[in-house]
Amino acid sequence: MTQTPFRWHRRITPWLFILPTIIGLVVFRLIPIVSSFYLSFTEWNLLRQPAFIGVGNYRELIQSGEFTTVALNTVQFSLLYVVGSMVLGLALAVLIDVQIKGISFYRAAIYLPVVTSAVAVGIVWNWILGPTYGLVSNMIEAVGLSAPYWLSDPKLALNTVATLQVWKMSGYYMIIFLAGLQTINREVLESARIDGANALQSFFSITLPMMMPTFFFVLTITIIDSFKNFELIYAMTKGGPQNASNTLVYDVYLNAFVFYRVGYASAIAYILLLFVGALTIFNFFIKKYFVYSLD
Amino acid sequence: MISNSFMSDRNILSVPPKIIPDLLFTEKAFDNYKSVFVHYNFGRYTLNSLWVCTLAALGQIIVCSLAGFALALMDFKGKQLTFSLLLLTLMIPVQVTIIPEYYIFMKLQWMDTYLPLLIPSFLAGAFGTFMLKEFFAQVPRPLFDAGIIDGVSSDQMFLRIYLPQATSPIATLFIIAFMNNWNDLLRPMLYISKRDMYLVTVALSQFQNQYGVRWNLLLAGSVLSVIPLIAVFAFSQRYIIESTMSSGIKG
Repeated sequence: MTQTPFRWHRRITPWLFILPTIIGLVVFRLIPIVSSFYLSFTEWNLLRQPAFIGVGNYRELIQSGEFTTVALNTVQFSLLYVVGSMVLGLALAVLIDVQIKGISFYRAAIYLPVVTSAVAVGIVWNWILGPTYGLVSNMIEAVGLSAPYWLSDPKLALNTVATLQVWKMSGYYMIIFLAGLQTINREVLESARIDGANALQSFFSITLPMMMPTFFFVLTITIIDSFKNFELIYAMTKGGPQNASNTLVYDVYLNAFVFYRVGYASAIAYILLLFVGALTIFNFFIKKYFVYSLD
Repeated sequence: MISNSFMSDRNILSVPPKIIPDLLFTEKAFDNYKSVFVHYNFGRYTLNSLWVCTLAALGQIIVCSLAGFALALMDFKGKQLTFSLLLLTLMIPVQVTIIPEYYIFMKLQWMDTYLPLLIPSFLAGAFGTFMLKEFFAQVPRPLFDAGIIDGVSSDQMFLRIYLPQATSPIATLFIIAFMNNWNDLLRPMLYISKRDMYLVTVALSQFQNQYGVRWNLLLAGSVLSVIPLIAVFAFSQRYIIESTMSSGIKG
């Protein structure tokens, strides 16, 4: 970062430059976070005054089996998403890190779902996986097997949505991994090859360790992104069947804007915040252990 | 290839598919599109989306480049604090803050206007600020020194020297902001209830709720809703992919 040795601007100038951002930060981030905390101790339907009910919402959360399901779903979704998209992203990056003609076409093709809207993706996949008209069901039935109900079977719905989210986003992580791969010194790989290391050996003992910074960068992003599942769930299952694919993110929406239980929804939002916070801290510390300093 | 399956879905739509005989695509190839456009007003929704997303992206560029410049090159108290808070808010899902935000806009009586879609996007673009800060910090030092020697003011330094350098990150930010806004569902769903003000993603999901079984129309609508995105992507593919790669390297 550039260090400015003397003051080349008036004292007030940076504040003017950054004023809109600070207003945004305070009004749309800090104030909502603080007031959510208060709201989570109230009962409120957006119209009347919020009524303070102490830890009532949290007690209800803990006691309701529904919330336990939703929380576990969130963990399952995030875990599937983080592991799935890291593995797929890395695999795609390794596969696509070759110099052949038309490689940029494949890169763009894999990246395409990243930029399309989750609603459209959800609709198309609803159709593909649909029980009667769907492409997949028809293909499975053509072979003579009976197709599972991908989205209406409570055991499958969450996994299906998570898998599709991985499919949609892994192009993005592929690109970041690809950038990491290309920073690896080719000479090291070359000398390993001369020393008789096979492709697998050099991948696991050279490429992977040298990719650690990228690896943790992607880990951070996938953790953040694993909570961005509202659109796809809304478009595909609406959290159903019987909450089987409901996550904290969707549950906040459901309670606040469908059932108008705003206080309860704020409590869910706060638990969501704790989830994110805990994961971020965990990631920060685990990173210290694993990232070799390459400087 | 998995993503090719995605593209071929698109292809399946435009011609009557032969793979699955029990589908009822009896109309001519483009009839679905026509009815989506004419009867279901998708043209209007697309224009709404284009307008809102362009405006939101432009606003975000202005705000983020100002903040990024200040954070990269100026000294002021609380700079570290502001920057760390920005980074922290990057991690927080929108659902954590949406309830109070909704209340604020309700009290301001901004429901059924595009302001609740634009203002948060203008003011809370942490990612863009971060990206432009990194970029401005890497602009060669001699340019800065030359500016100082010539005695430029700080806004000239920003407008004449630094901003013209930043066309490529600004283009990237425009595209990313445009796409994020285009794909957003929650805010447009909460704040816009007038039918002819719908954005295209909301229209599509409402359409799905109402005509859930009319796959031909639904799929035609989905295709229409992503065409502008794919067009933007096709032109800017290189920018997006390269900027993702370079921001990835920094870790």
